[in-house]
Amino acid sequence: MTVVEGALVYSNLLVLLALGLTLTYITTGVPNFAQGTFAVFGSYISLTLLRLTGLHPYYSIPLTFMAGSLLGVGTYAVILRPLIRRGATTVILMIATLALDLVLLGLIGAYSGILGSISGRGASKFIFTPLDRDVLGISGIFATSTLVILLLISSLLILLYRTKFGIALRASMENPSLAEIMGINLEYTRAFSWALSGSLAAIAGSLLPFRQEIVPATGAIIIVSIFAASIVGGLSSIFGAIIGGYVIGLSESLITYGLSTIFGSGILLYGKVVSLLILTIMLLIAPEGLVGVKWRRARGVKEGGG
Amino acid sequence: MGSISLEHIALSILIWFALYLIVSLSLNIEYGFGGIPNFGRALAVLVGAIAVGAFVNRVIMLVLGINGDIIYASGEVKSLMNELISKDPLIGVALFLLVILLAAALGALTGALFILPSARLSEDYLAITLLAISEVLFMVSYCNPRIIGGYYGVSVPDIFAWAPGEWREPLFALLLIFTATVIYFITDRILSSPYGRLLKAMREDEEVVRACGRDVMWIRIRTVALGSSIAAVAGALYSLYTLNVIATGFGRVEWTFYPFLMVLLGGAGNKKGVVAGTISFVLIKILLMTYKYEIKDLFNLPFETVWLEYIIFGILMLLILLFRPQGLIEEEPIMTEPMKEAWERYSKEKT
Repeated sequence: MTVVEGALVYSNLLVLLALGLTLTYITTGVPNFAQGTFAVFGSYISLTLLRLTGLHPYYSIPLTFMAGSLLGVGTYAVILRPLIRRGATTVILMIATLALDLVLLGLIGAYSGILGSISGRGASKFIFTPLDRDVLGISGIFATSTLVILLLISSLLILLYRTKFGIALRASMENPSLAEIMGINLEYTRAFSWALSGSLAAIAGSLLPFRQEIVPATGAIIIVSIFAASIVGGLSSIFGAIIGGYVIGLSESLITYGLSTIFGSGILLYGKVVSLLILTIMLLIAPEGLVGVKWRRARGVKEGGG
Repeated sequence: MGSISLEHIALSILIWFALYLIVSLSLNIEYGFGGIPNFGRALAVLVGAIAVGAFVNRVIMLVLGINGDIIYASGEVKSLMNELISKDPLIGVALFLLVILLAAALGALTGALFILPSARLSEDYLAITLLAISEVLFMVSYCNPRIIGGYYGVSVPDIFAWAPGEWREPLFALLLIFTATVIYFITDRILSSPYGRLLKAMREDEEVVRACGRDVMWIRIRTVALGSSIAAVAGALYSLYTLNVIATGFGRVEWTFYPFLMVLLGGAGNKKGVVAGTISFVLIKILLMTYKYEIKDLFNLPFETVWLEYIIFGILMLLILLFRPQGLIEEEPIMTEPMKEAWERYSKEKT
């Protein structure tokens, strides 16, 4: 895998994660601090299928997709919906996702021990790169992740702009109270956005081990890049998340690679510093993101730059 | 239970209670009173450890003329300083005071700087940015061996080197409880002042505070600086206690999530609640830590008990948010003198 290919693979996966984070932020008004661990959940689903049934991670994508959507809907139905009904503030909802992150981390960590003892091979850290093969001169993961992202984004666009449900979804994102008056059930659109967000994250997670080693706590540091990507895109815009994912993914990989040719490979450890710097600069000069605020948040129309 | 004595358990409860109380009090200023969701609390605690491991160690290296990289030199610093302290306990006292002052100053500075990018934004942006900065700096201090020795860590002198070994734990417990008590009264004093009421006003409605001519951004910067300075003291004390500094000891779960859990468990925005929340949490945590092998054997768990701890505390937090959002002890209105008078007049008129 060349450096540019690697950077693009990483960016593709980051787009999926940022897209999911942004979707749920628009509909529910809470940044999901567990998004990184949602991805690791996907990684472990595909690892389980690989270890126990021998299914290659590329072929298990549909199953990972479904598992992720269950996790997403579950998060909304069991934790967030009851809290929103009790009039919980944004801060309380954020703390709830932080708590969910910890529960998931604990469950995944415990599960990695169990999976390790069932399959007879340690599962507390793993990587899929040996499973990958080059296709027509390009690396398999580059081709797969690009295909996946083209497929997912085009179906999302068709859903949003060519179906009745998509119109309802956009209406409830743009103006939730007006949408409700028009007879749109906000519960459906919220639950749907969480399902989609969970499955996008799980797919990204199932492909991530082709690029980096996964441990149960991987989510804790990936979340920085996801937030950076979403904020660069404005946090409230689906197109922004796509742009932000590529901006952060490419600069994180390519800037650190460029610096490493000057300062030595030690610098490669500090990729997240680049994301953090871009995030900080963005907040200082344009907190509304690269594309500006397009869709208002569902819960309480509050501008980013309050 | 094996070799672990009851006395040892009691001492660890006291030590952890004092350390966590300091951090919870700091978070209560920022989140409980000010409504600032500081998801980067761990950073300030880490900065306190850096004040000891990176700054104080280097100052001693200069004074004693020790050269070499920090990982190796800190070992030298430790043995030389321990020798000096064992001869003259006053050097230990001086070292303690230097560490506390430096940690508080560095903590305040870091706090003020790290909230700057998001100080004027809404609370979700605040939380995201503070968490991101904290995570990245945690990673940098773990990866870079030149700050606090990276994954090797650095050694720290023992301020009680003059005392016999078996006195060390009780002495530390005393010192920590004393420091935590002092900090409790200082924060109580600060929060009972008009500043405390201003913070609560900001938590309830920023617009009102703005309309009264106060600058919300400036209040936030001051508040996070104050909170971080207190949390840094906890980090420094913890390093003095464990006699070494290693970045992995200052992760998000232990020093951001758990403090939030303690504050919310006890009741945010109220000092008694914070004490109650901290003591309940520490009791559960020490019990889990003490009996971890027994738990592992009893349920025949094929994994480390730390994962179980995460699951338990994560679920506890969710249960609190869902079923007891006000915590164990509910917040009471602040009774200032005019408020008391008004309240008495009101009750009289009513009867």
